[in-house]
Amino acid sequence: MIVRKFGLRQSRQLLALSRQTPISRRFLSTEFETPVAAAATEVQTPPKETIVPSENPLNEVMRASSQPQEQWSEGRIWGMSESRRRKFNRTGSVVEEIYNPETVLDNPPRPSDITLELLLASGTHLGHSTSRWNPQNSRYIFGIREGVHIISLDVTAAYLRRAAKVVEEVAARGGIILFAGTRKDQKRSVVRAAQLARGYHIFERWIPGALTNGEQILGHCETMVVNAQDQPLPEFKRDLADRPSVKPDLVVCLNPLENVVMLHECGLNNVPTIGIIDTDADPTRVTYPIPANDDSIRATNLIAGILGRAGEAGQVRRLKAAQQGKTTYKPITAEQLRLDPFTGMLPGAEEKKRV
Amino acid sequence: MGKINLTALRVRQTAINQFASGKISQLPQWVQVVGEIPPSETLIRTPAPQHELVRQRLKTLPGSSKPQVVFEVQEKTRKAKKASRLFKPVGLKYEEDQIRQEFFRDHPWELARPRVILESTGKDFENYDWSRLQQPGKRLDGESVVQRQLWLLNNVPDISKTAAYDIARQEFYKLRLKEDIERRVAAEEAEATGAQFGLSYLDIGMNLENQQYEKWKAWAKTEAQVFDQRNAALSGAPEMGETEAEPDAFGTEADLLAPAQAKA
Repeated sequence: MIVRKFGLRQSRQLLALSRQTPISRRFLSTEFETPVAAAATEVQTPPKETIVPSENPLNEVMRASSQPQEQWSEGRIWGMSESRRRKFNRTGSVVEEIYNPETVLDNPPRPSDITLELLLASGTHLGHSTSRWNPQNSRYIFGIREGVHIISLDVTAAYLRRAAKVVEEVAARGGIILFAGTRKDQKRSVVRAAQLARGYHIFERWIPGALTNGEQILGHCETMVVNAQDQPLPEFKRDLADRPSVKPDLVVCLNPLENVVMLHECGLNNVPTIGIIDTDADPTRVTYPIPANDDSIRATNLIAGILGRAGEAGQVRRLKAAQQGKTTYKPITAEQLRLDPFTGMLPGAEEKKRV
Repeated sequence: MGKINLTALRVRQTAINQFASGKISQLPQWVQVVGEIPPSETLIRTPAPQHELVRQRLKTLPGSSKPQVVFEVQEKTRKAKKASRLFKPVGLKYEEDQIRQEFFRDHPWELARPRVILESTGKDFENYDWSRLQQPGKRLDGESVVQRQLWLLNNVPDISKTAAYDIARQEFYKLRLKEDIERRVAAEEAEATGAQFGLSYLDIGMNLENQQYEKWKAWAKTEAQVFDQRNAALSGAPEMGETEAEPDAFGTEADLLAPAQAKA
């Protein structure tokens, strides 16, 4: 099947007619100086190749390229290459479509931009080795390829859209959204998603007890009261003194495998969760699973970006309604804020009662 | 509750129950959202999608003059499936697999060429038309041949697999040859306008090899001298002249080989 002489260089054959038979370089090896100065056994150096002038002008070019060129200094070569680059830099074709890994961070796609092609290009379909699967994920798995489970792209798209819808609606109702991605390179996408959705982010480590023991762990953190248009109201600051720590209304987790503690605490505190579920993860850990590859940073960046965009859309909706004096949620009144969080009475009312 | 923890899936019911029992004073904002967009059923198993190898061919069936598109499904040995295997994912099979395997078995060095496997939109296939081998924006590689052969099998009436392979292969060889010539011409043009590529890999390798030969030569000379001296010491002075009369390196080599043969 294979043609052996397929790689024969044709144009050299054109020169073969008027060209001297080439002398293999190997026979010139004795030109090198021997370290031993033995006069008796020294091999005579062969005579140098004599150049026969020929009519073929191509020969001149060939010889010029085969002859060792004069030794130039590094600086001169560098300068020449630079000048050449400047001269020819603008010639040639222009590459238009370049893959830029930053695009998904700078300008993440919207939930309406989810296509199977995009998910495929981002590698969300690649699962784990078949031996590591969690059989609870069988309904998300399309098939086996090269010993790896392939996650069904249409299922991923459907679940991702559903999760995006949840994020958008929670954001539109003024809910607190927490984005958590504690793997090494998820930091930027998590921060970006939180920035878009006006939410909060965790990229280093979930401190165990941050929800179940919030007063101890998050007690020192700053809290503030804002109005419907997100403007801070500092006059209520002293009313926040004894309040329990704020709980999120929705937690988005990019790596549920490493954040089991966080998801467990969310379960204890009854907080809905969204998580990327790979074929080896437990889908019951989260409320809204997104079956996808959680090991590819490109895939998690894409999913975090889409959810961030969804949150952005919800926030825009909420603020627009707030400008018209409407809220999509039941706002808390100033009186309720003034009430003591433990007794449910106005501050000082209990002492009055006792007196 | 057993092994399965459904807490996360039942957040809404829990919140409503807590509100009803007075544990929480008001329902959280997300309760309505979760009610409107309920979580999917997670633990219900669905039968795994079955994948069969389907071949598309254009065939002239007996009794008709026009070729027709025929889909052939690979016959499977129908063994009764165990009930426990019903939900197990099945391997994905495509017709390209075999074609690809065959091509790379015949051209193993095609695997050594660098290849771009990254896509930005995933829609590159929309620009490809496999009625010809070369595609805009795609480097010619083994995959091109595979796709071209598949296109031929799907679209040319009554073509055999080997015939399609030969056509695709020949086109591939021609284009590779053309690429090779283009590259060489470009290099020669660049050299003519002053580019310097330095030593080629072959030259570097040859120089390294030459250095090793020189080292061996030096070593062989000393060995030969030692050997001669030993010979001379054993058999007397007159033979010294004979060994010195042989200045050739090959002579010393022969001397070196001789005792080894004698030992063997």
